[in-house]
Amino acid sequence: MFKTAKVLGQTYQFQNLKEVMAKANEEKSGDQLAGIAAVDLRERMAAKQVLADLTLAEIRSHPLLPPEQDEVSRVIEEGINEKIYARIQNWSVAELREHILSHQADGEELRRISRGLSSEMIAALTKLMSNLDLILAASKIENPAHCNTSIGQKGVLAARAQPNHPTDNIQGIKASIYEALSYGIGDAVIGVNPVIDTVDSVKNIMIATKEVMEKWAIPTQNCVLAHVTTQMKAIQQGGPADLIFQSLAGSEAGNKAFGINVALLEEADELMRKEGTSPGPNHWYFETGQGSELSSEAHAGIDQLTLEARCYGLARTYNPFLVNTVVGFIGPEYLYDSKQVIRAGLEDHFMGKLHGLPMGVDVCYTNHMKADQNDMENLGVLLASAGVNFLIGVAMADDCMLNYQSTSFHDIATLRELLGLRPAPEFEKWLEKMGLMKNGRLTEIAGDPSIFV
Amino acid sequence: MAETWITSVGIDLGTSTTKLIVSRLRLGRTSSSFSLPRYQIVERQLLYASPIHATPLLQCDEIDAAAVSRIIQQEYAKANLRLSDIQSGAVIITGETATKKNAEQIVHSLAERAGDFVVATAGADLEAVLAGKGSGAEARSKQVKGVIANVDVGGGTANAALFQRGNVIGTVTFHIGGRLIRLNRFGDIQYLSPQIRSWLKEKGMQIAEAQRITYAQLQHIASEMARSLFGYFSGIEGDSSYRLLLAGAALDKVPTVDEIIVSGGIGRLMEGPYPETMEEVSVYGDFGPLLAHELKEACRSYPFHRIPAEQTVRATVIGAGMQSTEISGSTVFIDAKRLPIRNLPVLKLELHREDLQSADRLHKKIGAIMDLGARLFGSKAVHPFGIALTGFDYCSYASLQLLADELAAGYKRSFPASDLLVVISENDMAKALGQSLSIRCQGEPEVICIDQIRVEHGDYMDLGEPISDAMIPVVIKTLAFHD
Amino acid sequence: MSDIQVNLLLEKVMAELQKRLQREMPVEAAGAINNAENGAANDRTLFDPVSMLPNPRDKEGLAELVASTPARIGVWRTGTRPLTKTMLQFRCDHAAAVDAVYGEVNPTILDQFHLFTVETSFEDTENYLKRPDRGRILTDAAVAKLKARCMEKPQVQVVVSDGLSASAIDANLADVLPALLDSLKAHKLSSGTPFFVRGGRVAAMDHIGEVLKPEVVVLLIGERPGLVTADSMSAYMCYKPRKGTVESDRTVISNIHRGGTPPVEAGAHIGTIVKKMLEQKTSGVNLVV
Repeated sequence: MFKTAKVLGQTYQFQNLKEVMAKANEEKSGDQLAGIAAVDLRERMAAKQVLADLTLAEIRSHPLLPPEQDEVSRVIEEGINEKIYARIQNWSVAELREHILSHQADGEELRRISRGLSSEMIAALTKLMSNLDLILAASKIENPAHCNTSIGQKGVLAARAQPNHPTDNIQGIKASIYEALSYGIGDAVIGVNPVIDTVDSVKNIMIATKEVMEKWAIPTQNCVLAHVTTQMKAIQQGGPADLIFQSLAGSEAGNKAFGINVALLEEADELMRKEGTSPGPNHWYFETGQGSELSSEAHAGIDQLTLEARCYGLARTYNPFLVNTVVGFIGPEYLYDSKQVIRAGLEDHFMGKLHGLPMGVDVCYTNHMKADQNDMENLGVLLASAGVNFLIGVAMADDCMLNYQSTSFHDIATLRELLGLRPAPEFEKWLEKMGLMKNGRLTEIAGDPSIFV
Repeated sequence: MAETWITSVGIDLGTSTTKLIVSRLRLGRTSSSFSLPRYQIVERQLLYASPIHATPLLQCDEIDAAAVSRIIQQEYAKANLRLSDIQSGAVIITGETATKKNAEQIVHSLAERAGDFVVATAGADLEAVLAGKGSGAEARSKQVKGVIANVDVGGGTANAALFQRGNVIGTVTFHIGGRLIRLNRFGDIQYLSPQIRSWLKEKGMQIAEAQRITYAQLQHIASEMARSLFGYFSGIEGDSSYRLLLAGAALDKVPTVDEIIVSGGIGRLMEGPYPETMEEVSVYGDFGPLLAHELKEACRSYPFHRIPAEQTVRATVIGAGMQSTEISGSTVFIDAKRLPIRNLPVLKLELHREDLQSADRLHKKIGAIMDLGARLFGSKAVHPFGIALTGFDYCSYASLQLLADELAAGYKRSFPASDLLVVISENDMAKALGQSLSIRCQGEPEVICIDQIRVEHGDYMDLGEPISDAMIPVVIKTLAFHD
Repeated sequence: MSDIQVNLLLEKVMAELQKRLQREMPVEAAGAINNAENGAANDRTLFDPVSMLPNPRDKEGLAELVASTPARIGVWRTGTRPLTKTMLQFRCDHAAAVDAVYGEVNPTILDQFHLFTVETSFEDTENYLKRPDRGRILTDAAVAKLKARCMEKPQVQVVVSDGLSASAIDANLADVLPALLDSLKAHKLSSGTPFFVRGGRVAAMDHIGEVLKPEVVVLLIGERPGLVTADSMSAYMCYKPRKGTVESDRTVISNIHRGGTPPVEAGAHIGTIVKKMLEQKTSGVNLVV
């Protein structure tokens, strides 16, 4: 037996850390589907109390997935800065929370502490934080990154232009890129999810996106979000790629289901250093999202928030330019409604930021979730307040290829004006040169894609 | 399907020169793995380009067939190519050559000797289009806004094709070419094409064969020819002298041309220095070099930009060899033992949504096309024609049944002797339609139904042998000889 | 008549006919085909986005952009917000998508194809969404009904299910199912008694496989609806689906609706795929197509 706690007169027993972690989570349909969630609010509170008193050393000494069995655990374990860890190992999770939220702990301090924390510790901390805690703490952390251009500075809200097309029609992809650019969207990346998984097609899209960038001298980066092996082949055949993309899972088995492992990521990293078209140093684009390990039955009984944190632990070893949690894409069996999606979006953003990652969020939902566009607008405001590095820009939020809704070009332009945020500096200069933006506001011609025809 | 390459040849038999290329075309999947399969040509490699041979003629109006055959055979040997390797391609007989008295026989016999599925074709319109593809004009029109005119100027004709966004929006041909006036180094005119005599007359230029012409006179002719051509494309009112140079019909309306590319032998001659003397002009025994440079000069005073051609003298042959083959849809209804089929004329059946919902309307429309076919080809024809379906965007199962009923019944009634019904659909529905037709026909006639190919009235088609049992290569051509 | 004469005659007749056709029928047909090629769906009540931009720099260019994609571009704005019409269109399309998830298949269409209905243990839509495992298991009553009414060990078992979009079945079944049955016939394949499963997930085919022991199961199921269309259907095919079958063992044709993969052609192609499955005794990633 691991720990007991008494809540409102009832005693709860927890067999192990895994159980405490799972039951301390805010309600998620995915944890319920896995059969590991707290049965009621009381049990959840008991778990949170147990968790609050655990020290960071206790968490480290009880690995949820032993490093001998799982390479993601190994990567996380090896990434811990022992000197910093030694300084804080006797803190309880409660103390860690209070330190992080204190006035003394500024962004520098959080970035320093971050290096002594494992992904499990960050997950544990997150379970004790309220939504506003998550927003406040994340807003302290500035994680800029540089590929062709820099994003992630304080006061900057960048956006990915996501110009997907149901048949990968190049003209159609370009049309959506033009629309995005005309709203000041595309400073994070021009990133296309291809439908066709052939090397030819992926390479063609790389070329087409690069052509648009070169023709209009746009300071941004391109990426085609095919499987990493397909991108590698396209790059080897001369396809221009500023960024290389891959979805990550928080367990070795989950990554196997994605057709990747650490060795492959190393190989891709090496290829980008040799044949990528950007100066870097950051040339990775990772996507994650709570629930993917359960969907491939690779969760090992661990809750989805903790597994998500482990994705970030893996991601940070590659110093990515973009990490994006696709928070509401996976479906209602993992995040049932808008409340769960909003919570998960704030959790993921905070956890990513505390891992030192340049964190963005795909604020999104599918049509079988209990959520709608108003919920996304809410979460967009919360994340923009929390200092999210970038959001996803889709024409009128409707992705006509992936069949889900995200944030629109209008939404991102609105958030910028509302909260006084700016596009990435080099991109803003370009927008000014094109006459699309002046003093941080869209001009009269903004919204006219035909200026790029 | 594993990586598939097909070998394709192009042969261009022109007024003054003959050339050949060998290429290979790679088929690649262009659909997602969760869709119906679709393969298209995704890569084209030029493997061999022959030197440029003078076209062997017996006399002014007759091609030396035996000599042409020898050239082809030699070039195949040099390219290390066996006839059985060739899966597609085109022989195109271009310019004035197509009016030579034995042109038609030559082109057919060449097609037979050039390989199993090399099609014979000719016609200024097709030539213009192929040249525009080979010169890079088509590809450029996908990149830039506006209309790009590719003018392929050879010995006898200038074939222009207008491209916009990768589509051909018009073709027009002029009697403008380097060999329309042949002369020696002294300016003695040895040949004057009858095609330009009335134009010369209208321009007040009285010249005739066996006369000696001055450099200045010749320069004036070349310059005026250039003005007639570019004047037409610029839409500038006033000069209608181009009418006398037209071969065939003019465009219904000349669009605003933004860029001009000049390919063909004359396109290549534009690259050299300006010929300053009659000796330099007549280096090939004609006024081609002067025409080339006057075209280049004249271009400057018109509103369009001239863009250099990626291919000049080989534009047409490259187009014929590398750009003439299309791949049908990959869900089709084919019968390997009935393929290949060559020179199948096409009648276009344009159906609209309302036609597909009414047995009556459909019956009338299909009846009309069958009647037309019977008039043109005779009701006893065995392989009369292919029916090209177009005009609608969606076909329900109920409409499909109606269509299959009417097509099968109409065809059987009009062509009882035919043992094969060929249908070509623009929309992706060939397998469904083929199945429905086949259920109705029960082998009498047999059915071939392919899709995702766009053909026009009067086009001829060659249907190749199946690739991976799923699709076929197709070459669409226009066999229109100018008389 | 020689070939050449025929050619000439043909050309003249055709030229005349062409002119007449063009006079009668302007370019609308070509436009429709272009849209289909570009994937722009016809399902959505398309507004005229071009007119929404008060003063586009290139009107023609804008029209080309809009025609090249079903994405909602060229929509214009007021300040940084979308125009009212655009916003309402979006909300309408979302409403249609949600209705498709919570809707019921029209019983008339099931009767038309003589499909009887069985249920999985999904209980209700909320549970169906939260517990995908329930949608994979048939109720005991369903198992009994299948045993009573269906042919056992058929070569091909065709199953229809609402999945995440009831309206996908309403919109496409009448085109896909008969074309599919024709294609089985054309390949001389025999099929069992088709039926409808309410509240089905893709892996329900495994349980059906256990009960009826068919060689191949073809499952026509409503897809998760999008805003471009709420009526998209998938055809899942699997060789001997049984308990423990993994997703990579299934072959799928997705995006079947009138603006996507043509329903009749999808149906007609299924026979070809099933034939290959029977020949190769496998399906999914191992199937050589």
